[in-house]
This record gives sequence, structure tokens and C-alpha cells, in this order.
Amino acid sequence: MKSFFEMWGRTMEVKWSNLMTYRLNFFLQVFGPALVFFFIKYNLWSSIYGANPTAVIQGYDFQAMIAYQVWVLVIQLLGQGNDSMNLSEDIRLGRISSYLIYPFDFWKFHTAGFLAFQGMQFLLCTVLLCSVLAMGFLANLHFNALLQGVILTLLVGGLWFTLQYLVGLMAFWLEETWILRVILIIVAQFLSGAILPLELYPKWVQSALLYTPFPYLTYLPARVFMGDSGLFLSSLLVVGFWTLIMAGICTLVWKRGLRLYTAAGM
Amino acid sequence: MGRIFSTLAHYLGVYREFLNTSFSQALSFRVHFILLIFMDLFFYASALLTVDYLYTHVEQIGIWNREQFLFFISFMLALDHLHMTFISESFWSLSFAIRKGDLDFLLVKPINTIFHVFFRHIRPASMCNLLVTWSLVIYYGRVCELTMVSWILLPFLLLLGLTLLVSLEILISTSMFWLVESFGINFLRMQFQHLARWPDFVYQTFSRRILTFVIPILLVGNAPVRFLFNAEDYWLLVWLAIMLLIIWVIAARLWDMGLRAYESASS
Repeated sequence: MKSFFEMWGRTMEVKWSNLMTYRLNFFLQVFGPALVFFFIKYNLWSSIYGANPTAVIQGYDFQAMIAYQVWVLVIQLLGQGNDSMNLSEDIRLGRISSYLIYPFDFWKFHTAGFLAFQGMQFLLCTVLLCSVLAMGFLANLHFNALLQGVILTLLVGGLWFTLQYLVGLMAFWLEETWILRVILIIVAQFLSGAILPLELYPKWVQSALLYTPFPYLTYLPARVFMGDSGLFLSSLLVVGFWTLIMAGICTLVWKRGLRLYTAAGM
Repeated sequence: MGRIFSTLAHYLGVYREFLNTSFSQALSFRVHFILLIFMDLFFYASALLTVDYLYTHVEQIGIWNREQFLFFISFMLALDHLHMTFISESFWSLSFAIRKGDLDFLLVKPINTIFHVFFRHIRPASMCNLLVTWSLVIYYGRVCELTMVSWILLPFLLLLGLTLLVSLEILISTSMFWLVESFGINFLRMQFQHLARWPDFVYQTFSRRILTFVIPILLVGNAPVRFLFNAEDYWLLVWLAIMLLIIWVIAARLWDMGLRAYESASS
């Protein structure tokens, strides 16, 4: 049991050391895009509400809209920061041969890396949240809502990891998987409410989206952070359900992919 | 004069070879080819629908109505399309070339290195969406009732905006020479593209001034589109031209310095 935890711990240490070696790269690749995305949306909404400061758009006044966007930023960092670039490279370049004979499986290695990444993101998000609070962007922050939001977002991180993992596994069939990754990000950003709250979408789009995992990636965690505690339990169950489904699909795809694997590059 | 033409013909010939090899490479991976087309289409749809949904709740954003805003977005999508097709891929390759030392092979070739580095890789799949982006530009341009002069100038102004964007990106990319792992610089470059995709009036005064006069990324789309709507807004185009000259001078200097700092990882 001790060696089991040691293997996970050591793998996480390696990931941390990798992230810290190229700090600027990490910042530009993970933190920078989310910050710029927030900066644009902050300016856009300031400009819209600037013309009519008392306006309420689909239930959002200026302060509520900015609070929503702050939570989207936190969710993006904590729940959607991970990508599967290394995973697909491992497959494409034939590096998974090592994992097939090591006592630490391929999925364990990448899951440990993901957990290490999440740990780092958690620290960064804490610092970010403190800064945002000091700047007065979040007027009504309740501990319960914060706790529920963090729990849900961490689970969303798990769902995002399985989605990215699935995209990475496509490297068994495709030369490059970055296009699928970009498509996932574009679609997820648009349909999850990362750009606009889903209340601003046409009613039929909102209804259709509830049958997909997308609103659970951003919109619902943001609402939970904002104090809609009634959404917490149901969202947790749905995100958990989708995570299990995706994990099951990943296992199947891995098995099918391995049959095609030729250990190219060995 | 004859020498200029023969040099131009030589470079056109080289570029034709770049195109040929890019096409044969792209057609070897058909799924990749099709996915690239869909990726662009998803991106266009999300950009346009975001603005469309916004305008179902507000009548005006800044100084533009729905149609003017959508024309701006279409203009930026057309610009982005050209960028994706002819330039974008080369920036990603540069970071690998510097890290792995492959740049050595480009430096010894009897051709301008900047031309080879930034024009070598072309994405033929993206060409398929040419009709989509230009249909959008033409549709919203007609709705906005652009004048005949504006229609004539439109392609040239689009190329001018693209030239500024690429020049700024080359300037940013020179920093790759000093960084061991320069992959992240491409993400910085992409963030500048994101900033450029919105009209300048959505940014607050301080940010707008910085992003127009110091790091002139907002001029990429705003200077041409504002001029197309109203010829009296020509001063932004003048500023764009001045900034282009300044950026070229700085980029050329940084490129030379970067080449001197290049450590050639493979040797």
C-alpha cells in the first residue's frame, strides 16, 4: 500500500517539477488565456452596461454579470485547465510501450499528472480569488456557496480530464489530435456559457443544452458559486454521471486502440 | 529593375513549391483535412452567434448596431481565415525549429530566412472556407450599405490589417530565440489575436489607448473597418502605417539579435 501511494506521489512530484521548470510557459499556456478571456469580457460588459448602468439583462445587473465572469475564470482555471497534449504525443511517438511493461499504468501516470496539475491550479486560484475579493469584484460571497462551488468545479475538472483523455486517445487513429482538442474547447466555451450566461441564449437552445454535459462545465458551477445552492446536488450527480460515462468510453477506446498500436518510434 | 523582377519571380517559384508540398502533405491525412474545415466552421459560428445573441438583449453596443458589429466580426473572420491558411502554422513550426535546432538547415539555404520561416507552411484545408468568410463579409457589407469605394478598398485594407497582425506576431516570436521552451509564446500570440477580434470601443479608455498606440493590436481590424464605414476616420489608417514601419524596424533588429543568440540545439 505504501509503495502504491509512493508511486502516485513521485509521479506528481515529477509533474510539479516539469511545470516549475518552464514557469513562463505554464503561465502563458494556462493562466494567460483565461486572464485575457476575462479581460475581454470585463471590458465588453462594462461597455454594454456603461450605456445604461441600471440595466438588468436577463436577471443580471452589472455587478452580477461581472461576478458571473469572475466565477467563469475560476472554473476555467480549476476545472478546464488540463489538456491531453502529452498523452497523445506518448501514443503517437510510441512512448506508451514503456507503460505497458511498467508496474504503473498509462492511465495512472496521466491521472497522477492531472492531480498534480490540479493542485497547482488550486493554489493559483486561491491567490486569484483573494486578489479578486480585494478588488471588490465579489460583493456577496458566502462560505457555503464557495465550498459547494469548489467541490463541483473539482468534479468538473474530473469530467474535463476524461474528455481530454478521450481526445488524446484518438492519437491511435489520427496523426494529430490538436484539432479535436481545439474543437472541444471552441464548442465547450460557446455551449457551456463561458462567453455569455446561458439565459441570454434562445429558449430552445437552453432546453436542448440540458441534455448535454456542456452547461455543467461552466454555467451551473458558476450559478452554484453565485449562491444557487438548489442546483448543487443535481449538478454533482449529473457531472458524476457524465464522468463515469466518459471514463467507461475511455477504457473501451484504450482497449480498441491498443490493438492497433505498433510501437512506432521504438 | 530587371533584377527585382527576377528576384520576385524566384521567390514566387519557391512559394509555388511551398504550396505544392503543403497540398501533398495535407492530402495524405484526409481526416485531419476535414477536421480542420470543421474546426474553422465551429469557430466562425461561435463568434457570430455570440454577437447575435448579445444583440437580442441590447440594441446597441458602443457606437455600432447589430449589422455593423457583425460586419466587423465577419471582416475579422476573413482576416483570420487568411492568417490561418497562409501564416499561422509557420509560427508553431518556428518554436519547434528553434528548440530542436532545425533552424540550422533553414539558415544555410540560399533564400531569405524570414521568408522561409514564416511562409513555409500553408494549410490547404482552411482554403476551403474562403467562400464562407467572404460570403459573410459581402452579406453584412451589403446590409451596412458600404459605398463603391469601400468595396474596392476592402480587400486591400484587409491585407493591410493582416500585415500588421503578422508583423506584430513576428515581433513577439523573436523572443523564442531567448527562451528554451518557447511553445508558450504562441499562446501569447493567440491572446493578441483574441484582443484584436473585438471593436476598440468595448475596451475602457486606458486599455484602448495602450492597445491602439503602444501595442497597436486593435488597429488590425478597427482601422480598416472604421475607414470603410466613414472615410473621415482615415487617421487610424495613417497611424497603422506609421506603426507598421516602426514594428518592421524593431522586428528586423530583434531578428538579427535573436539569430546571434540562437544556440543551435542540434549541433
